[in-house]
Amino acid sequence: METNEAASQPTPEQARAALADADEVRASVAALSATPWPVWFVVAITAMFVVLPIALGGMLAEPDWLMPRWAWLVTMLATEVLFFALFAVAARNWRARTGVALRLDVLPTWATVAAAVVLPLIVVGAAYAFRDTRQPLWLFGAVAVGVALSVGFHLWFVRLHGKAS
Amino acid sequence: MSTNAADPMSGFDTTIHAPNRLRICALLDTAGEAEFGVVQEQLGVSASVLSKHVTVLMEAGYVEQRKAVRDTRQRVWLALTRQGREAFRAHQAALRAIVGP
Repeated sequence: METNEAASQPTPEQARAALADADEVRASVAALSATPWPVWFVVAITAMFVVLPIALGGMLAEPDWLMPRWAWLVTMLATEVLFFALFAVAARNWRARTGVALRLDVLPTWATVAAAVVLPLIVVGAAYAFRDTRQPLWLFGAVAVGVALSVGFHLWFVRLHGKAS
Repeated sequence: MSTNAADPMSGFDTTIHAPNRLRICALLDTAGEAEFGVVQEQLGVSASVLSKHVTVLMEAGYVEQRKAVRDTRQRVWLALTRQGREAFRAHQAALRAIVGP
C-alpha cells in the first residue's frame, strides 16, 4: 500500500513519469469511451434520419402530400418515441458492456455542436423549401445529409476506438 | 485543500500522488464514471489493493461510489467528486510545474 509519506515532492523526472503514467491510463480509457454503438442502433438512428425530414415535409405540405398531414404528424411522433425507447435500451446496454459512463464529449466539440445545430436547420429548412416548391428533392437532400452524418459519426467512433485501443 | 492560481505547486496533493491513486483519478477524470471491475482491469491490480486505494480517496472526499445492477449482478460504480476533480487537476498542474517548460 502506497503511503502519503512515500509521496513527497517528486523530482522533474518522477513528475514526468507520473504524468506519462496518467496519460497512458487516459488513452486506454478513452478507447473504452469511444466504443462504437451496436450496428442495430446505428441502423435505427439512420432510419430516423430518413423518416424525419420526409415526415416533417409531409406535415407542412399544402395541400396534402401522399397522405393527410395528421398522418405525417403521427408518423413523426411515433418515430421519435420509438427512437428514444431504442436509445434508452442501447445506452443501458452500452454502459453494461463497457463499464464506463456514456459521454457526449468523445468527439471534438466543434463536430458535435455543428451536427446539433446544422442538421435541425437543414431538416426544417428542407421541409419549408419543399412546401414552397413541391420538390421532394429538398427532403431527399436532407435525408442524404442525415444518413451521411449518422454513418460518418459511427465510422469516426470505430476509428477512434481502434486507434486508442 | 486550497489551490492558488499563482502557485501551481500549492496543488500538489500527496493523497493523489501515490501511483495507483493517480491512475485511478486519471481514469475517473477521463471516464466520468467507471465500474469497479473495469478500474481494476485497467490498472491491473487486485480487488483488495484497489479497494484500499479507493477507501483512501473516499475518505479524502475525492471519490464517491454508487451501487447499480450490471449483468444481473450488483456492481459498484466509482466517480470523482467535484472536490476530487479539482484536486486531481491541481495536482496535474503541480506536476507540470515541476517538470517545467
